Amino acid sequence: MAGSSMRDIKRRVRSVTNIEHITNAMKLVSASKLRRAKAKYEKTGEYFHFVTESIEDIFNNNSDIPVKYLAGSREIKNRCYVVITSGRGLCGSFNSNIIRLAEAEMRQDPNPPRLVAVGAKGRDYFKKRGYDLRAEYLDQPESIAFVEARKISGPIIRMFDEGEIDEVVMFHTAFVSTLEQKARRVRLLPFEIKRDPEILPMEKQVEYEPSAAEVFNYLVPKYVEIMIFNAVVESAVCEHAARRMAMESATDNANGMIADLTLFYNRARQAAITSEITEIVSGADALR
Amino acid sequence: MAKSVALDIVTPDRLFYRGDVELVIVRTLNGDEGFMANHLWACKLLSTGELWIQEKGSKDFRVAAISGGFIDIKEKFTIFTDAAEWPEEIDVDRARRSGAAAEERLKTRRAPVGGEDAEALSEAKTDVRKSRTRVNVAGGGARRKR
Repeated sequence: MAGSSMRDIKRRVRSVTNIEHITNAMKLVSASKLRRAKAKYEKTGEYFHFVTESIEDIFNNNSDIPVKYLAGSREIKNRCYVVITSGRGLCGSFNSNIIRLAEAEMRQDPNPPRLVAVGAKGRDYFKKRGYDLRAEYLDQPESIAFVEARKISGPIIRMFDEGEIDEVVMFHTAFVSTLEQKARRVRLLPFEIKRDPEILPMEKQVEYEPSAAEVFNYLVPKYVEIMIFNAVVESAVCEHAARRMAMESATDNANGMIADLTLFYNRARQAAITSEITEIVSGADALR
Repeated sequence: MAKSVALDIVTPDRLFYRGDVELVIVRTLNGDEGFMANHLWACKLLSTGELWIQEKGSKDFRVAAISGGFIDIKEKFTIFTDAAEWPEEIDVDRARRSGAAAEERLKTRRAPVGGEDAEALSEAKTDVRKSRTRVNVAGGGARRKR
């Protein structure tokens, strides 16, 4: 009994050690990817306020703004949901958090939800459950270029312009710190803005070309594009942070298992030696 | 020496340029337009094209390729564009290839029906324009001799 169990334990120790090597390597890879993704993320959000400020400027200084993109311009019936997940697994509860949040809201929607899935994990999940997937983007999020964000936002803007959808809601993971990420819900369209009496009209006349309305109609879709782009970049940072954490705890668990198994192994070995000695002693006794 | 003004050129993923300039020339939807300090406040949409800036105290122009966006003229100038490149960053061969591919797409798609087709057509046209701009900018700009 002791001999075979010792071999079993030894085999398990070896396989857990192999897994530990792999998770540890993945942890190191994620850590370096996280560093790179974070550097990109810190740069992208920095100049976003130029666009929102320009939108507010135009809104507060002109009365002939087209209402198409503004909140309250039409009744909200059909919604489109943008769900940003990762392309790969093994990153803890990263994907399930975002999917749970998105699905909870979609279930309550009385109208059939339309879906845009970014990342293979979310795409697979919602496709399997028969949701109305309008578009999907499966490229690795950390290598996304701004031009590709436009491919995501293009069909959404078109559906909104044609009146097929009245609201666009995005679910993505927000980066709090390397140890904490939060699933977040953001409404992209219609654009919520209020005429703020606190903001005084600008003291100088501004010349818009071709017209204030056209500049505004250019800026709002641009805002959506940039919001999606930022969300994808941010989500990539969170994915790597989540994976690094998951791999770190996997490595810790594997080390714990190895320690336990080594203890069992030593116990089994000691037991085997003890029983062998007993056998020898009793054999010698019998001969006397 | 003309009066100078602070200019920021911003793309979604980086601050492309920040500095004091005497003159900035961009292609708006209605054609090339130059702006100098104390210009009337304006906000104009840009098309794909060359960007020329004359830095403070310099006689020469610097040229860059930008695609779309808008320029905000106030006490400070701000250009927000989808993409911006200096000549030395442009891969001329790649620009030529993508331009040729886009022209091919234009030829095969003569009659757009609407919706997605029209979008693909305008996208191909933009790609052709982008490619031409890039090639020109890499060669030092098409319109002006340094």
